[in-house]
Amino acid sequence: MSKAVIEVSGLHKVYEGAVPVKAVNGIDLTITEGEFTALKGPSGCGKTTLLNLLGGLDQPTSGSILIDGTDITALSDNELIDFRLHNIGFVFQAYNLIPVLSATENVSFIMLLQDRPKEERLVRAEQLLKAVGLEGKEDKRPGQLSGGQQQRVAVARALASKPKFVLADEPTANLDSESTSKLLDIMEQLNAQENMTFVFATHDDRVIAKAKRVVSISDGKVISDTAK
Amino acid sequence: MLKLAWRNIWRNKGRSVITIAAVMFCVIFAVVLRSFQVGVWENMIHEIVGNNFGYLQIHEDGFWADQSLDRTMDLGAVNSEELLAVDGVDRLIPRMESFSLLYHGSNTKGSLVMGIDPAVELPGLQLDDILLEGRSFSRDDSVIVVSEGLAKYFNVGLGDTLLFMGQGYHGATAYGAFPIGGIARMTNPELNKQLVLMPFQKAQYMYNCTDRATTLVVAVDKDSDYEAVGAALKGSGVEGLEVLEWKELFPEIIQTIEVDMAGGRIFVTILYFIISFVLLGTVIMMVAERQREFGILVSIGMKKTKLAFVTLLENIMLIMGGAIVGMAVVKPVQFYFKYNPIDLSGQMKEAIEQYNFEPKLYTTTSFIINLNHGTIIFIIGVLVSLYAVVKIMKLNPIESMRS
Repeated sequence: MSKAVIEVSGLHKVYEGAVPVKAVNGIDLTITEGEFTALKGPSGCGKTTLLNLLGGLDQPTSGSILIDGTDITALSDNELIDFRLHNIGFVFQAYNLIPVLSATENVSFIMLLQDRPKEERLVRAEQLLKAVGLEGKEDKRPGQLSGGQQQRVAVARALASKPKFVLADEPTANLDSESTSKLLDIMEQLNAQENMTFVFATHDDRVIAKAKRVVSISDGKVISDTAK
Repeated sequence: MLKLAWRNIWRNKGRSVITIAAVMFCVIFAVVLRSFQVGVWENMIHEIVGNNFGYLQIHEDGFWADQSLDRTMDLGAVNSEELLAVDGVDRLIPRMESFSLLYHGSNTKGSLVMGIDPAVELPGLQLDDILLEGRSFSRDDSVIVVSEGLAKYFNVGLGDTLLFMGQGYHGATAYGAFPIGGIARMTNPELNKQLVLMPFQKAQYMYNCTDRATTLVVAVDKDSDYEAVGAALKGSGVEGLEVLEWKELFPEIIQTIEVDMAGGRIFVTILYFIISFVLLGTVIMMVAERQREFGILVSIGMKKTKLAFVTLLENIMLIMGGAIVGMAVVKPVQFYFKYNPIDLSGQMKEAIEQYNFEPKLYTTTSFIINLNHGTIIFIIGVLVSLYAVVKIMKLNPIESMRS
């Protein structure tokens, strides 16, 4: 049986205000190593909030989040940053690459933060860029790449730190069909070959179709959890 | 990290250029302002003190407070050899200074009479250099040299005789009649209106002060520090004599400098405030522009302290660049106006002359001014950049990424 990478129990997130908003309302969820999971649901259902909580970017109101056995809700701000650096890969909707760095430098930057040797950084960055089909584009800066190519660099960057899992928030939202298809193929391949765990927040049917497990969320609750 | 900071500088060239230019112009403006201010004073001190009165003077004890001929020193009793043996002392210049009432025709005027020996005098009293017409005199000559203003007042020329009347040593009357051998222009406007230069021995004789002098000006070696020489002289056993530095001789000059410098400092402080806000504006602009990126970097695992350090490094590079360029660019300007001072004219000239200053604006070439203002503006820049550091340390990655 595969090991649990993410274990969430009794998770609540309430945004206080004139009218308190329960963005996450009692979610229990376990994601095991090598899963290719899509969190789906309409806008405002709480999937991005859940993703932010899983990534340690936000603190829950109550409940626990165990990542590979570590309760990240108990970590300090600095410990969380360090934890993210070594355990979690992020792919954002708007690519969010560092504009002044080349593709190779963007990918190796995260390894630089991990204090890995230069040689290792360059070799791994090259391998990852090759894996996402960007051979020959290593020296291009984000502004010189298409949206699809930038998102592939972002995937390579997410994997560069050798994370326990990758969180991808609407990774295909800004991509055309061809780029989406290419990106999903790459992620599917990485999942199959390297047993990398992927968790997507999406309402893109093409992503949902590729996912091996689909968790539907509505009003901050899991309403269905289907494994294909 | 250095590479990232360097590249970030050039991602928004406009902002970087504004920052560098703001720092550069502020340094240039502050340095030019202070260089003129210090330069004018330096020149004035050099001209009036260095070239005329001397940085150090020796008198009979109590003379400077009283300034009576009864307190002249007996030159025979002064141990000149001991004084000259002090390190940094080049020579001792005897002077006989007093006031007399001058007559010519029906005109009279109270004037400063200075008995000097041109052979050993300071540069400002080297007659060959300051004479407009006529000739110099030797220590025991019989002619006098009058200042340009005095000659105009009495409407006299070469060969005309001026009559002197005053009080000499121990109440003796001091009379004399001397032909004008030369007319000189003094750099100090006040001296140019009322000074009479007389052969040293003739002045001693007229004031009944044979073998006596009011003052021994200490000419200091070129490379020596007059303050150190003054301290050494004071400790060399000059019993019965007073050794005074120019700051003690002319405290009013120091006060005037301090008042003027305070005014300049206020002006420069206002300039610093302006540059602070300009720099703060660029830092706020930079933080707002990169809020999202900061959020992403923290999200993927970049420690806030590291991010703050990179951002601070960027600003330090920009500000340091501007300050260094400013300090360097202004240097030729300082040199130009040091040797080509601005001649003041009209009311400004008259106003300056009222204070006995030469109506010319000089600059100083002292690099300390450049370094001081460059450093101050650099520190201001770093302090202002702390805004970005504070914002980064308080950053919430989710809110930043939403921005």
